[in-house]
Amino acid sequence: MSPFLAIDTSGGTCVAVVSEGKTLASVSIDDPMGHSENIGNAIAQVLREASLTPKQLSAVVVGRGPAPFTGLRVGIAAAIAFSEGVGKPLLGVVSHDAIAFAALTGPKAVTANPINPLLITTDARRKEVYWSLYSGLDSHGAPIVLEGPNVNKPADLEELLTERNVNPVRTEAQLDATSLAQVASAKVAGGASLEDVSALYIRAPDAVEPKAHGKFGKQVSS
Amino acid sequence: MIPAPIRPATEADLDDIMQIEHDAFESTAWPRDSMALELAPSNDRHYFVATIDERVVGYAGINVVSGHQSNVMTIAVAESSRGAGLGRALMQKLIDVAVAQKSVEIFLEVRADNEAAQSLYRSLGFEQIDLRRGYYQPENIDAVIMLKAIDLSSQPANAQPLVLGIESSCDETGIGIVRGTTLLANVISSSMDQHARFGGVVPEIAARAHLEALQPAIREALKTAQVSLEDLDAIAVTNGPGLAGALMVGVGAAKALAVATGKPIYAVNHLVGHVGVDVLERGQVETPTIALLVSGGHTSLLLVRDLLDDVELLGETIDDAAGEAFDKVSRLLGLGYPGGPQIDKAAATGDPKAIRFPRGLTLPKDMEKHRYDFSFSGLKTAVARWVEVAETKGEDVPVADVAASFREAVVDVLVTKAVAACQDHNVSRLLLGGGVVANSRLRQLAAEKCEAAGIELRIPALDLCTDNGAMIAALGAQLVMAGRSPSSLSFAADSTLPVTQVCSL
Repeated sequence: MSPFLAIDTSGGTCVAVVSEGKTLASVSIDDPMGHSENIGNAIAQVLREASLTPKQLSAVVVGRGPAPFTGLRVGIAAAIAFSEGVGKPLLGVVSHDAIAFAALTGPKAVTANPINPLLITTDARRKEVYWSLYSGLDSHGAPIVLEGPNVNKPADLEELLTERNVNPVRTEAQLDATSLAQVASAKVAGGASLEDVSALYIRAPDAVEPKAHGKFGKQVSS
Repeated sequence: MIPAPIRPATEADLDDIMQIEHDAFESTAWPRDSMALELAPSNDRHYFVATIDERVVGYAGINVVSGHQSNVMTIAVAESSRGAGLGRALMQKLIDVAVAQKSVEIFLEVRADNEAAQSLYRSLGFEQIDLRRGYYQPENIDAVIMLKAIDLSSQPANAQPLVLGIESSCDETGIGIVRGTTLLANVISSSMDQHARFGGVVPEIAARAHLEALQPAIREALKTAQVSLEDLDAIAVTNGPGLAGALMVGVGAAKALAVATGKPIYAVNHLVGHVGVDVLERGQVETPTIALLVSGGHTSLLLVRDLLDDVELLGETIDDAAGEAFDKVSRLLGLGYPGGPQIDKAAATGDPKAIRFPRGLTLPKDMEKHRYDFSFSGLKTAVARWVEVAETKGEDVPVADVAASFREAVVDVLVTKAVAACQDHNVSRLLLGGGVVANSRLRQLAAEKCEAAGIELRIPALDLCTDNGAMIAALGAQLVMAGRSPSSLSFAADSTLPVTQVCSL
């Protein structure tokens, strides 16, 4: 199943065309804003550089986060629409899986196991981090998640790890769209269903229900 | 002579095409495999066959690059059918495709010894720009390179473009499809119920709901309109004004859809969409007109001299939108959400003159500075105070009278200022738009005051007044029909997009 168009806006805007594990073209814009400005040109650019028409793609892979809300949605909305536009399957992948894949493969690969799992953290804003723990790769090469994604303050996360006597392997690996596509390939090979493309917000919306009222509303002061 | 039908080529035409190819080009004929690849579905390559009695007697193909150069790949007509204008008909079809896809130049190469073909191409506007020595081997024949420049501005505009519109500026995910000024589908998915317990639209909840509604709404709209995405001539999307996070869902989706389908995209103004929707009922927006747009997010008074080129914001609310005021007062009175229909219901048995609530920005000093602006925050506070005083005195609050008097204050200001705008600008038309148009008293008072002032009142059907994708598609179609350039893929979602910016480039 390839080539894939992979889209992830959980951090910046990452888009790639990936075939058989090889990156045919990729665009990565670090800007943690500007997703909705960048997404159209980024997709057009990777297709042009890969010399592919949209219909020559076999599937669209999208990162589901976790991520702060607004940017994440742009990538998922684009992936949904692109998949509709070309009539090809849409596959959802947890963005942390892609970072774990990048950390656990390649020349600078770290190793992880259930005792010393790989810790992935990403910025959740509001002085919090999203985090996940991975124990390694399965037989198809997909990262095995032990726990997460969750959201905590960094200090609370460290306390939690200490409490549980977990000494995790840490990584500088960053998300790239090629890894996202490779996780999708590995998961599909392992028989996983990737139909769910819902956004992983982890947090509930910031909305406060109004306080209970008296018979006729709140007392107006001043 | 009846022109032979020209239709898009399919892979099933391969045998017929190869027969003609071999007869026409002999030793330089393309291999069958290459031709099969050319005929495969593509956004860039367009192949057509000419048929007589459903028999393929000619074919031609072009590789189109939107906004750039197109290349005629091949053209051939069976020897037995030559001289009947089929070559010209096929070439004209290729030119039409290139023009429709906004190519600016078309190139072709032709054997220097084929004078008949060169003559045909010259008559279609091609000029020789180069000669390639010995291009055709092994005969060692030169190739004449010809170019046709296309002046897109002089092309007749697409008369009935099929446009899909995406609207996500507030709490309604709207996907609309129009053909020219004909409505084909208007799918609206609202997250209103999810906002009810908060008493107003929560932006994050609205944005989350847009993402979930997107795919089913697109599919339902296409199904209702009985068209496919490939049939579209353009995609239109709201890029403002509205809630930023909500707008971005629609913008991200529309851009990706445009790239996936190779269709042009138009980023259009939400408020102007509310005005443009009138084309779906009347074929055009008669101008000049004053437009009063009233919803939970907007209260705006526009002077529209031309739908696409001259829209002026006369005034708007300086605090709450009118719909928001209905929501807040409804909550204050212990009624439900959304407030408009609840207040309407409660007011039915009330006396609108029972309580004289203030009319915002109508005092002489305000009318100097804010002649066409609105303010509902003070009114909301006045209602709250009135209720508080009544409760403090231990009196029963006459909900029906309060609701009717509040509603009258809102509607009175809206209609009075709109009619004044008409009279001040010598415009005899008033168009209403936005969800608050559902309010029965607003429609009634607008009808009365417009009639008295000799102003023609336009109120589109309610599902075209509330936020919807059809109005965005309709405005996009107007831009296509006027031959306007599409937007780039770089435009931003702009929560405060000015009304003067009808289409963002």
